[in-house]
Amino acid sequence: MLWKDKYRLGVPLIDAQHQELFSRVEAFMVTLRSDASWEEKVRKVNETLAFMKSYVVEHFRDEEQYQIDIRYPGYERHKAIHDGMVQYVSEVAEEYERRGCDEQLMQQFCGKLLAWLINHVAAEDQRLARYAIDKGVQG
Amino acid sequence: MTDRLYQPFVEATRSVFQLMLDLQATECPADGFSPAGVTDISVGIVGDLTGEVVYRFPEETSLNMVKIMCGMEIEAVDEFVTSAISEIANIISGNVMTLLAESDYKCDILPPAVGEETPGDYAVSSDLRISTTAGDVCLAIRLNPAG
Repeated sequence: MLWKDKYRLGVPLIDAQHQELFSRVEAFMVTLRSDASWEEKVRKVNETLAFMKSYVVEHFRDEEQYQIDIRYPGYERHKAIHDGMVQYVSEVAEEYERRGCDEQLMQQFCGKLLAWLINHVAAEDQRLARYAIDKGVQG
Repeated sequence: MTDRLYQPFVEATRSVFQLMLDLQATECPADGFSPAGVTDISVGIVGDLTGEVVYRFPEETSLNMVKIMCGMEIEAVDEFVTSAISEIANIISGNVMTLLAESDYKCDILPPAVGEETPGDYAVSSDLRISTTAGDVCLAIRLNPAG
């Protein structure tokens, strides 16, 4: 299981969204790394890509609103990291469509997504959690 | 100067390995680092300093680190693995830039790319070897002051 309890921030909405993200990325990875043929994997891959495009935006929006609400001083930096990821997902989705469902591109996407998500939640979001706890505004 | 630029790489690598992979990392001499099947990930640096850092991931290290992240057995260094370790290199490099900014070096990084180091003359040319239970990684740090 990708999700670890140490990733929990103590903010119920954000923690639930993180768990959903980890769960989707894990399902995506298991499908992509399975021995099934690419034709069999394509449906799940397309589903995940569509989900990521919408859910990542939704989750980042909620997390950014939370940062505004608690006056998090790292908001601008954190938002810039989110914006970079939204742009990356969008570019990959366009490239995937342009290339006509390319497996190699999805393997690369999955590798980066995995490492990015772990670092973001284990490092960047923990800074946010520490601030919220220190200020007593974790909600 | 070399020490001021070298330490942020040590600190950032150790911190990222701890946070992302739960690995304790120790610095050790880079002499004799020549394992087979190394994947080189180059991250360009621009700004007050120019050059690159090349992360040298032996096959075993790549497979072990990605296995820690994904919880699955990985048998070969393929696009998935290369992309995941490239992102680790990207994250470490980004953290190094943050640490360098505290020493008044304003620099940016370029996207990671698979490739060996670019030959050239560098004011700072250091090799850093980091050892973990998942395997070792070597960082070839090649930098010049801009201008």
